[in-house]
Amino acid sequence: MENRRIRSRGIEVNTMAILDASGFVKATQDLSDDRITFLEAVRSASLVPDNGIAPTYKMFEAIFQILKEENSLELIMSSYQLLNELDKRYPRVYTSKVELSKLPSPSNAPELVVVEEAWSPFMFASDSERDGANKNSGESFDSTSFHLLIQDLVKVVVQTKSEELETKSLRNMLLLQYLTSVLEGDFVPRYSICKDIMNWNLLRESLLNMLLGSRRISYKGLIKDCVSIMCEMSHVHTEISHDIRLPENSAVEQLEDCDAAVAISFPEVKKCTCIALQKLLLMVFNEPKWKLELIIQYFQKYIAKPSTRTRQSSDPIDDATYDGILKSFSNSNCAKNIIKKISAEVAQLLLAHAFQAYLSLSSQHSAESICQSKEDVRESSLVEICKNIISAFTNLRRIDENMEILPSGKEALFTAATILSTKS
Amino acid sequence: MDIDGPLDFESEDLLLKSPALTTKKRKKVIGLDDLVNDYLKENKKLEMKSKRAKAQKDYHSDEDEDRDDRVAKLSECVEKCQKEMGQISDEDENSIWGLQVFGNQKTRPPAVFHELGSCGLLQSFMNNEINSLVELDVEKGEVFLERLLVNGWLLKLVYTCGHAEKSIATWTFGLMLYSSEEVLSTSACDFWTAILSPTSEVGLLQIKIDWLPNYSELKGALEIYGFILDSPSKFSSNMEIVTVDFGCGGPPQNIRAWIKYVASCCQVRSTYSILSTSEVEELVVLIINLFLDRQLVGLSVILYECMLSVINFFTDNEWNTSCETVAKSIACRVPRDMNCLRTVESISGVDARSKHLRHAVAFQILVACLDNKVTDAEVILRSLISINVKDKSCDLFKMYIFLVLTENWLLSNPMLEDKSVIYEMWGVYLRNCSCQITSTDLRSYASKVRSKASYLLQGQQQVIAFKYVLS
Repeated sequence: MENRRIRSRGIEVNTMAILDASGFVKATQDLSDDRITFLEAVRSASLVPDNGIAPTYKMFEAIFQILKEENSLELIMSSYQLLNELDKRYPRVYTSKVELSKLPSPSNAPELVVVEEAWSPFMFASDSERDGANKNSGESFDSTSFHLLIQDLVKVVVQTKSEELETKSLRNMLLLQYLTSVLEGDFVPRYSICKDIMNWNLLRESLLNMLLGSRRISYKGLIKDCVSIMCEMSHVHTEISHDIRLPENSAVEQLEDCDAAVAISFPEVKKCTCIALQKLLLMVFNEPKWKLELIIQYFQKYIAKPSTRTRQSSDPIDDATYDGILKSFSNSNCAKNIIKKISAEVAQLLLAHAFQAYLSLSSQHSAESICQSKEDVRESSLVEICKNIISAFTNLRRIDENMEILPSGKEALFTAATILSTKS
Repeated sequence: MDIDGPLDFESEDLLLKSPALTTKKRKKVIGLDDLVNDYLKENKKLEMKSKRAKAQKDYHSDEDEDRDDRVAKLSECVEKCQKEMGQISDEDENSIWGLQVFGNQKTRPPAVFHELGSCGLLQSFMNNEINSLVELDVEKGEVFLERLLVNGWLLKLVYTCGHAEKSIATWTFGLMLYSSEEVLSTSACDFWTAILSPTSEVGLLQIKIDWLPNYSELKGALEIYGFILDSPSKFSSNMEIVTVDFGCGGPPQNIRAWIKYVASCCQVRSTYSILSTSEVEELVVLIINLFLDRQLVGLSVILYECMLSVINFFTDNEWNTSCETVAKSIACRVPRDMNCLRTVESISGVDARSKHLRHAVAFQILVACLDNKVTDAEVILRSLISINVKDKSCDLFKMYIFLVLTENWLLSNPMLEDKSVIYEMWGVYLRNCSCQITSTDLRSYASKVRSKASYLLQGQQQVIAFKYVLS
């Protein structure tokens, strides 16, 4: 341990010396060169050797600083890449795999290992003790600065759309992706252990909880901002579909080259930002399952419960499942009631989305029987669901002959009918 | 002040205190001699002037004014010096990597849906009675399929039915590589990567895909994108015009889909036989070429991932020979300038395969730089050591390239681990570079070679010290 510390101190001194330009105003190119050399030196010291050592606090901070401040795309990408690879190699939180052959006692279960001394881009107010020890804490993210970063992105996506392809917004998106991956790397192992031993403290101490639980930010506001970024980005993603090309007139070659690089990578970075935000919002939760449950709950609100049970309804419709909802739509009175309250368009949209979520879940199920999503999926077969989708839409049309079937409704119908024809 | 005495500019108080001097460490050191000479000349004049003044006027009344004058002259001189220095640094040490990998794009094959008539998916539905609700007909067929693709229904259908028919496969593949509508290209790419490796979502269920693209399809796409770095001869001849023509050309957006597709089809070797070993060797070379285009810097994340997939395509047995083949092929193509360093550094070194490749590529380029005459490690190091860096004709830029290549070849290379003689020679070479080049060496790349060598030397000494502590 002591030897490792000596070694890592040595590496720190050497690599940081590459960056050390204190007091010397250097040409931009020289500075960039130094930073690239530094990043490459860290890679050679920490990633390439089999017995490499994790970078020290100072080194991590310097890499993070580059990601946060640089204007050169090359440096932004290299630092982003390096940070991700370092996190993979030297995780801050992980589960230790205890050998099964050893004592079959409860202590045999995998344990959570938290590397306390590891550097993290986050530092929250409660860490004030550590704050004193580390003077550079201003460089770390807390709830407030995290929300500010997200608000910055809202401005970028809402106001500038895709015309303004700036290195700065690209950098902020990568920064957000990195921070989200840190949150995920911290949360997922905690969650997997927590599920087994039911120790909620593990989750309470997670970075995600400290971030979202902070009183310094409005939780609602943060979530709203995340959702609006995702909305805007996927809007641009589907609507503005022209090929982004460079402006024809060429002024400075170097500059244009960089613009081209930003333009080519922008859609990719945007897509990954959306995925990162989705991760931030859902983390360990299964997306289609949630989608289906939400839609079912929504419909339940509008399905009138018969106040008294008549004798005919010997088999009352169970509206707590997707199949149950679909069956309600096959009942003319029930369907009429629903459309009156939420309009036929919304009903179609929700039915189609729920069907898509159902299909995702059913393919997950056929793979492995995770039956935690309760009866939603198991109770009725896929064929049944497809039949009921078709009859629900047929019934909607019967109620109102002029009702237009929405594109997504048509797509759902096509899918259901095609599945039926191959499965029967 | 003793003007004729030995110059010790460290103790020149005035110079050190001059605020304008805190610039450009690297270059500043070189120019200090001139600076001091200039200063001393000025000083001499001033002193003579002051002596004259002293003779004419009362000494004390004139001193302040005189000093102001001297300071002004000094800073003027420093400024001039700095300007010259700036020019020097603009002229050299400015070599950066970057090649024009893509020229003008060729005409893309039209992305029309040729085989609508033969598309079973659409045909069977049009006869279905539910079509009275959907109202699908032949004209709307393609648009409808596009929506199915973009909104994810097509993938759900293929997953649920476990089958992708030929017309769908060819149509989506065409969209992925050639559609100028980004959303179509991206969706088609997601579709293909999902049907090729469905393990994450649908377990081990294998999807029957009626048509699989072959290597020429991938290569052809790259050519249509304007890929020009194909043969070794082209590679070197194009080098000259690289900086001139950046504006035109450049790959289309679809290059992203191409990269991702290549990555995913290299991961499914056990399920589908799409590519042969030699084809994948070519792919490794192609992908390394893509790293040399500055226009693709922003895609480095997916390029890195692609690279890892591609090199993990090989079996362990194949890899040893394939790695050599790839390294040699790269070495004879890449220009011997900053681009060859970029080439080595584009190989991430995060896993065993990429480490191996990194060592091998660095070694082969080094061999090529030494005119392919020697391949023996000791002989190579001996020839490096024999280079006299003090010689005015010694090309230090070349030395810098050698230094970085050797570093990447030797450091943590498991194949050389027990050959201590190699590392001793490496140490000698590093000492040559760091000690024989003085800090006042004006030649371009002198300071780069020197600082790189001393950095590596320090690292090496630490490793030795560490081993000593352990033993």
